[in-house]
Amino acid sequence: MSVNPGRQDARKPRPWWLGLGVLAMGALWLNGARSIASTTNYIGVGPAAIILAVGIGLTVLGVILIAQAMRGELVPAPEGEEDTPPSRSAFLLALAGVSIPLLTIRWLGFPFTAMLAFTLVTHAFGSRRTGLDLMVGAVLGSVAWFGFSRLGISLGPFLPLIG
Amino acid sequence: MDVLSQLIGGFAVALQPMNLFWALIGCALGTAVGVLPGIGPALTIALLMPVTAQVAPASAFIMFAGILYGALYGGSTTSILLNTPGESGAVMTALEGNRMARNGRGAAALATAAIGSFVAGTIGTLALTFLAPAIAELAFVFGPEDYFALMVLSFTSVAVVMGRSMVRGFTALFFGLALGTIGIDTQTGQTRMVFGTLELLDGVSFTVVLVSLFAIGEALYVASRSGTVPAAINPLSGGSWMTRQDWARSWKPWLRGSVIGFPIGALPAGGTEIPTFLSYALERRLSKHPKEFGHGAIEGVAGPEAANNAAAAGILVPLLTLGLPSTATAAVLLAAFQNYGLQPGPMLFATNPDLLWGLIASLYIGNLILLVLNLPLVGIWVRLLLIPRHYIYGGIVVFALVGVWGLSTSWMDLLLMCGLGLIGYVARVYDFPIAPVLIGLILGPQAEIQLRRALAVSQGDWGVLVSTPIATTLLSIAFLVLVVPPILARLRARPKAEPAISAG
Repeated sequence: MSVNPGRQDARKPRPWWLGLGVLAMGALWLNGARSIASTTNYIGVGPAAIILAVGIGLTVLGVILIAQAMRGELVPAPEGEEDTPPSRSAFLLALAGVSIPLLTIRWLGFPFTAMLAFTLVTHAFGSRRTGLDLMVGAVLGSVAWFGFSRLGISLGPFLPLIG
Repeated sequence: MDVLSQLIGGFAVALQPMNLFWALIGCALGTAVGVLPGIGPALTIALLMPVTAQVAPASAFIMFAGILYGALYGGSTTSILLNTPGESGAVMTALEGNRMARNGRGAAALATAAIGSFVAGTIGTLALTFLAPAIAELAFVFGPEDYFALMVLSFTSVAVVMGRSMVRGFTALFFGLALGTIGIDTQTGQTRMVFGTLELLDGVSFTVVLVSLFAIGEALYVASRSGTVPAAINPLSGGSWMTRQDWARSWKPWLRGSVIGFPIGALPAGGTEIPTFLSYALERRLSKHPKEFGHGAIEGVAGPEAANNAAAAGILVPLLTLGLPSTATAAVLLAAFQNYGLQPGPMLFATNPDLLWGLIASLYIGNLILLVLNLPLVGIWVRLLLIPRHYIYGGIVVFALVGVWGLSTSWMDLLLMCGLGLIGYVARVYDFPIAPVLIGLILGPQAEIQLRRALAVSQGDWGVLVSTPIATTLLSIAFLVLVVPPILARLRARPKAEPAISAG
């Protein structure tokens, strides 16, 4: 049975937002170049020149990426043999695990934050043994905190809430 | 002093008990991260950089060298037994090695890979030993315009060669260049692109970018696509060692792989992928058993594995002599040098001979350690694959957090980690290469300094950029690197297009 090529073409992902993001970044850098006062013109290249060059580059690349996306040329990389179809819930759970330190690390400290991040990420990978994951995460976070503190790397207070 | 006496001095450094200990740690860590999916040598070295700030530079770099080589040895184990290349350089090994493992010849495949890696690693290190000082001498004549041209060549070749398309490569490069412009301009003291944020005055940390793009991006990607099915490991049973015929079929590919790998690895953006592909293609063409290819030909493991390791030694040539990183791992090593206030390049041979020759000598020792670690102890490394994937990635995120938070306990770094992690995920999904980002970030500011220095010397005359034969040659090569691939692609596409038109 043949598939209608026009319909198949319409289903192709068109991630124009990717190009738009690059374009926006280019615009930001171009604007940044405009706002930098050039004090060293005598050598031909002031502090704004590289910002301007990068801004132009990003803008041009953004436009090309949008054009490629609209033509259906900007397609995702082929999935690996063992990859399953993308799961939005797993992605969001992993993202929560990565983002939770933003909310907790100042109040709960590194070990507790590491425990929460670890558990959320393990759940994103399909683990449902919450108690065990919390325990492993707590041990990992505490060992890392003590170990790195001994090496002279500060990871903040153990539990900032209680000082 | 001649090379040999320098090397002997290097061995005196590398053979100190403490440095041998660090070499052993590096080799073991490298093998482990090579075996485990999702963690590469670049990420490992980046995460260890804050820790090693307490260690003497020579010891730290001896450990990093062990990680660099060890990851290659470990990567072949995963490729052969799991059919999952830990690194892009091990893709070709998986092709034949996994077939051999499925046919019950996994041990022979692992042995030819390990011995081939040892042979090629030693040949590559020998070449590095004798070539690096000569190139470093040559680099003394480089002026700022030559260095600028060299960096332009590095940018173009990295953007063109890495990744699936030139546009994606350049987008990644410009993204890295953009990140490199954030912070205080070192020459005028002006702030640039800090958006009123004090934390950005020092710029974006290389470690934060690397950890976010690699570790966080990878964790998000694998989590969203892994499901819960564990990958199947091929058993190590069957023929336990290489037969006489295996030796006879392996030694020439080892040597050929070494000869292909080293020079290509030493080129800007040469990397380890191209030599392994070339070696595989060559072995397939030269083999007396061409029908075995695709079904488990030992030459298809021996050649690419040798090329992979020789290329790793090659990568160190531009890094140590010119301060030019050509891969993500080399970029991290450059950042590690800068962490110690050192700048790789010709001056380093004169100012820090103990460190440099100690590092080179440690490559010989590391190769030997890795052979011992990987041949008889391969069964132990394979057990690492039994660790559930969710624990591996949970651990990766925790250690990424250590790497980022441990830098300066800055909330802004965590915010950047999340944002850049998402960008790393998008890059993974849409096949944007990461290495150009790192090279743009680390070389961009240096290229700017060299450009401004050249223009200052010439009183603003842009002609200075093509005023020396070296600069002109390098810029011409950069131009060719940029122009030739699209022309070749168009020429290759033409014969295919014509029959289609006539058929239509």
